Amino acid sequence: MSLIKTLYEKDLYPEIEDSAESDFARDCIQIASERLAKGEIDRRTFMKAIAFLGAAPAVMTLGGKTAQAAEEVVVVNWGGPAVEAYTQAFGVPFEKATGVKVVIDGTGPLGSKIKAMVDANAVTWDVCDTGTGTTLVLEKQGVLQKIDYGIVDKSKMQEKFAYEYGCANYMFSFILAYNKTKVPSAPTGWADFWDLEKFPGYRTLRKQPNGMLEACMMAAGKDKDSIYPIDLDLAIGKLKEIKDYVIAWGSGSQSQELFRTGEVIMGDIWHTRANLLNQETNGDVTWTWEQGIVTAGMWNVPNNNPAGTKTAMEFIASAQDPEQQLVLFNAMGNGPANPAAAAQVPDDKKYIDPGQPENLAKQVLQNGPWYQEDSGVRNLTNDELSREMWLDALSS
Amino acid sequence: MHASLSRVYWLLIAPAVLLMLVFYIYPLVQVLWISVTDPVPGFGNYMELIDRPLIHRIWITTLRICVITTSITVIAGYAVAYAMAQVGERQRTWMMFCLLLTFWLSVLIRAFAWVMLLRTQGIVNTGLQEMGLIDEPLRLVRNEFGVIVGMVHFMLPLAVLPIYSNMTGIEARLVSAARGLGASPFEAFFNIYLPLSKPGIIAATILVFVFSLGFFITPALLGGGKVVMISEYIQVSFEETLRWGQATMLASTLLFSVLLSLALVARFVDLKKVFGAR
Repeated sequence: MSLIKTLYEKDLYPEIEDSAESDFARDCIQIASERLAKGEIDRRTFMKAIAFLGAAPAVMTLGGKTAQAAEEVVVVNWGGPAVEAYTQAFGVPFEKATGVKVVIDGTGPLGSKIKAMVDANAVTWDVCDTGTGTTLVLEKQGVLQKIDYGIVDKSKMQEKFAYEYGCANYMFSFILAYNKTKVPSAPTGWADFWDLEKFPGYRTLRKQPNGMLEACMMAAGKDKDSIYPIDLDLAIGKLKEIKDYVIAWGSGSQSQELFRTGEVIMGDIWHTRANLLNQETNGDVTWTWEQGIVTAGMWNVPNNNPAGTKTAMEFIASAQDPEQQLVLFNAMGNGPANPAAAAQVPDDKKYIDPGQPENLAKQVLQNGPWYQEDSGVRNLTNDELSREMWLDALSS
Repeated sequence: MHASLSRVYWLLIAPAVLLMLVFYIYPLVQVLWISVTDPVPGFGNYMELIDRPLIHRIWITTLRICVITTSITVIAGYAVAYAMAQVGERQRTWMMFCLLLTFWLSVLIRAFAWVMLLRTQGIVNTGLQEMGLIDEPLRLVRNEFGVIVGMVHFMLPLAVLPIYSNMTGIEARLVSAARGLGASPFEAFFNIYLPLSKPGIIAATILVFVFSLGFFITPALLGGGKVVMISEYIQVSFEETLRWGQATMLASTLLFSVLLSLALVARFVDLKKVFGAR
């Protein structure tokens, strides 16, 4: 297959092969390609050599070849324990099954880094572990590849988390967490969260609207099925009602810290953080799944990824295996994205899995496509407009 | 002879100039370039300064906090520097040590320390409550007040050092002479000492104001997410919403406002003299 393609290109563009200027560089690349194929050098060294020779465009014509020669797939996540956990959960099985080495890079797939890499045509990442927000932003920037649902199985995830340019890697929830010792009774939903008289004290909401707008809508009396399309004016109006009693969290650790220092009595935070708080306070801080908002960690594949589209998609598909997702769940608490994994979660851990049927029944699945839609204001998507309105209301 | 010497001087500073060009001026030009080309060529990004209420709010918050922080810091810094200039050698060494000690602590640690002190169950609130001075805990942090406390604390050494260095150059006998000629202590201070220390005050004001404009971590942590200053919004535009045109526009505006404030000050005082270049 690749031979045919190469011949075809050579025939069509003989000057690539024969022009005196690029001869040496091209020769070097050929040598490097051969060494790569023989396994004498790894792909990264090869790419470095190519870049050094300033011959990246020439390599493009060898595209078929390099893609086939992919010997490693670089998966980027947020580092720390996630490196080891992803290696055990997804890396080792994929390597065993395909022989393709999986490199887990913990430097953090910031949206800005992915865009910069793609813009500079120097992509070194194959699969990135981001969120729904980043996926939508990157999609609008046009730096991601479509998920190939011919390889990745849509039925192995919640349908709502199968985006065009990203798909679920694991699930997590925005839930109502509260400190039992500081509330008169257990709050049962966002209406209680908004009730300053019954539950006096400070609350925490996220600095970004993603996962908060849904809570605002439910506080405004919308039932779980009629949240979308979100009425931004209504939602932001709800924020303004309680904003004097809101401290906003930026990172997950910040949300945890606000409960630790006793600054807040309740919060709309991630269930993983609520679980950590629950453990460290011996149950004082707990949460309800009621009216929780389920969202997903997302796999993204940047344009022109070094291992090629197919390898990246195959990796994503391989990581859909329930067994593998359970390894990650046990190590880090990330809820399995594959519904088939729910039954295999040990009984004593079901209460921390957002994907358990009884937990899911109480919650709402976040509707990503709504965030992508045009807001009708200044060419902004709902995602972009809501970010502005949210920050404006918080800081007013 | 003279001309060749000056050529040698140029050669000597050439590496530094080259370094600045490559690693400072070039990226800076790139930032300016993105601000007028992304997402479409033109001044669309700069129009946002005029027609976007959120950006107005952020700029006003930034300027208000900077002005308040600078005023408090310079007044407090003047008092500390004055004390340092008057006390004996031993005390001065200790004062300098304490001043620089806070300077060496990371800005992050300092922000958290303020949270622990000022939070509702913190030592300040519980202390005041136990003394019976207040019934309800005061909101001292996660708001603008907390941001200003944190920023003043951070900036204080930046104000003290230039003022103190200026004060060491003031001839103490001038004040004595004024007193000898019948001026009251206050008159001697206001008419003699204060005018002589003016360059130090101006240098401190510029330093603190310019530093405050770009402040990021302290407002983000002590402001509880509700005090959004310009740098934090640049970070949001750059890293979260990926609107680089907007981010670079704000960064450029920040740069221009620093240059503008320097130019304004330069109309009234000799900046080279203030910063000791002349």
